Amino acid sequence: MNNEQQEVAQFVKMQTPFSQIDTSATDYFVAHVDSIYLTRENQTQWLQSASPKLFLIRSGLYDLVDAKGDVITRLAQGDYFGFPSLLTGEAIQNRLETQKEGIVYMLNQDAFDFLRREYKLFEQYFVRAHANRLLSSHYKSQNDSWSERKISELMSRKAVTLLPDASIRQTAKKMKEHGVSSIMITEFERLVGVVTDRDLRNRVLADEIDPKEAISSIMSKKPKYIFENNRVFSALHLMLKHNIHHLPVLDEHHKALGMITSTDLLRQQKSDPVQLIGRIYKAHSIVDLKRYAAEIPELLRGFSHNIDDISLIGKLLSGLTDALTSRLIHLFQEDNGAAPTSFSFICFGSQAREEQTLHSDQDNGLLLPDDLSEQHQDYFRRMGEFVCEQLVECGIRRCPGNIMASNALCRMSISDWCERFFKWIKSPTPEAMLNCKIFFDLRFIEGSNSLYTSFCEQLTRISRNELFYAAMASDIKSNAAPIGLFNQLKLEKDAKQHKYIDLKKRGVVIINDIVRLYALKAGVRRANTQERLDALLKYPQLNKQDVYNLKDCWRFLTQLRLRTQINEEGLPSNCINPNKLNSLERHQLKEAFYLIKQAQQAAAFKFARGSL
Amino acid sequence: MVKKWLSRYLSRKKLLAKSVFSQRYIVIDLELTGLDAKQHEIVSVAWVLVEQQCIKLSTAEHYISKEVKQLEQSPVFHGIAQQEIGQGQSLSFILNKLSCYFDDAILVFHNASLDWSFLKNAFKSNDINVRPKLIIDTFQIEKKRLLQQGQEIALDDLTLAACRGRYQLPHYSNHHALTDATATAELLLAQCHQISCGNELKLADIVKVSL
Repeated sequence: MNNEQQEVAQFVKMQTPFSQIDTSATDYFVAHVDSIYLTRENQTQWLQSASPKLFLIRSGLYDLVDAKGDVITRLAQGDYFGFPSLLTGEAIQNRLETQKEGIVYMLNQDAFDFLRREYKLFEQYFVRAHANRLLSSHYKSQNDSWSERKISELMSRKAVTLLPDASIRQTAKKMKEHGVSSIMITEFERLVGVVTDRDLRNRVLADEIDPKEAISSIMSKKPKYIFENNRVFSALHLMLKHNIHHLPVLDEHHKALGMITSTDLLRQQKSDPVQLIGRIYKAHSIVDLKRYAAEIPELLRGFSHNIDDISLIGKLLSGLTDALTSRLIHLFQEDNGAAPTSFSFICFGSQAREEQTLHSDQDNGLLLPDDLSEQHQDYFRRMGEFVCEQLVECGIRRCPGNIMASNALCRMSISDWCERFFKWIKSPTPEAMLNCKIFFDLRFIEGSNSLYTSFCEQLTRISRNELFYAAMASDIKSNAAPIGLFNQLKLEKDAKQHKYIDLKKRGVVIINDIVRLYALKAGVRRANTQERLDALLKYPQLNKQDVYNLKDCWRFLTQLRLRTQINEEGLPSNCINPNKLNSLERHQLKEAFYLIKQAQQAAAFKFARGSL
Repeated sequence: MVKKWLSRYLSRKKLLAKSVFSQRYIVIDLELTGLDAKQHEIVSVAWVLVEQQCIKLSTAEHYISKEVKQLEQSPVFHGIAQQEIGQGQSLSFILNKLSCYFDDAILVFHNASLDWSFLKNAFKSNDINVRPKLIIDTFQIEKKRLLQQGQEIALDDLTLAACRGRYQLPHYSNHHALTDATATAELLLAQCHQISCGNELKLADIVKVSL
């Protein structure tokens, strides 16, 4: 064979590392290389994990794209790619996107290995290039949190399921067969229970149960689960909160798709807010808690950069506040003895709706059983004071309206709470209406769930009052959406004559109010506006399209609001100058306000007919 | 005779219906002492194989004919000195090597009418019987493409370098036969890509020169 590929040789000889090593390396490269014309159409066929290759670009432009679709780097003449797989033997993770087609040289693994063996500089060059690539992608992955990824992206294994009448032994065999530590028990494709290795040990072996018994007798019934479209963050939060290691993943029709384990998640975990929540739930002292809490603003800043669904930030912050609160309650009990009776620590308002921002203040309270002795009342007074005080220390401000568990008015027995609510419902003064808007968004944080549930049931019963609904509906209507008869945006003016629209007060709040009203009427026991809307989809009195519209509006306004929080020019917070929006956004804004106005009118028509 | 002709016709028709991207090609370039196949000679022959859109540079071969009597063009232009010819191979050796590929590879030239007429003569005078299954000409492909675009074609619009420039392929300064064979192979891939626009492309779509 005759090696006279002069053009190829001249080119290769000019590239590092060949320019620094003996010409024989170039000759060897040229004698073993193939050349391709890399195009958009054939770009996938060359990067095969089964036969990794070293690529050297002669002409053209290509983007190296990682598994998530982010561009790692743009490659042009003289750039190499493909070497990580050659060095590590691992499967190819990145792919190429051709920007401009051209000629690329391609060397196979054997020739690459030969050059590595024979020329030390060659080896060094590619090992170093690989290390740099890792560094830069690690840097990137610190910025974009894995925890905002969807569960479905993490799930690798298919669902292992059995019917409830399978025997315990059959279950163990099936788990062995599939090499899994947990199994889902399903009936008519619906999840009815979960069995884990630990259950087989604790509930079968230790209790000497006959392995011929049906698995349904020992499975964990009504297990916690998560949907494939939820974020990894939610899964971790659930697991940490309930101390479970296996979480079934369901599709939207509640069909079992697979199991996600804490190990799966930990494998993904690097450093981000989720880890922080984990540490908070395990903190042993107040000092630790405060230290962790001090990290929240910084972590959040990094987290919010490239987040596509901004409502997640509210969830995340509420999750952190929940974690802090719940840990403080535990620490209080460690020092002062376990609570003498059952109790529920609850939160209201934005924390309950999971719409917290960094500037949100505390809205919490204690729900206690009736007829407590003075001694017990004193215990919970101290608990309330301790938790609220320490939360302030952790950076969550006191509530200006004193809605805090340290306040005797927010630390009451179920009957007293009900009476307080009933008073507002009976005489819907403007002040009562204001209270309703805060207190009817409530969520359980820590303590006895059954106490909280029974309170909710009573609350649903007493709030079933048409006059009350009517009062709420007319209250909603009094806060007009800023859109005129002819679809003109109505602007407000501040002292300096800036024109603006308050996205929160005139938009998000109205939607929250409308949704709260429907949720009360339908008996939906959720606080988060999006979740309330999801639940309302099944509610016959609301048109599905209206629900979707409200969801879209809410999301649009929230996104816009959080975006303007980042870059605002002298306007009050949550405000926006619509003239600064582009025409599409302005159109969307008008559309959103128009839909809100319609929903306001519809609510008034449905609920307030009598009083109009 | 008719039967033979008919079967050849049918197999050619079958071949023409195949995709250009899955074929095996042998891309050939000759260096000549002149442009007239009747009086000028072959100085050297170079070829490279293309398989599945991949130019197998490691299969590239280049032979100088020791039978060449006169170098009319400047030897510097060819990069071949008279003394190198002395170390060359006999033309029949080279042609025999080359013809081995004709059974399963499609021939590719840039300006086949010139190179193939020299080769045809050479095969005949060396008593080598060859029947290429198909010949593709990047020169003709380009000409057809330009005509279809309604462009007027000047004399030097269809040189290898000019054609490559249109596809932003790298500029090669030397004109070694092996470089030109590789350059032609790259041009062929670029042309096929350009014409197909991501769609299926059959051999029939790029063949213009018939045997």
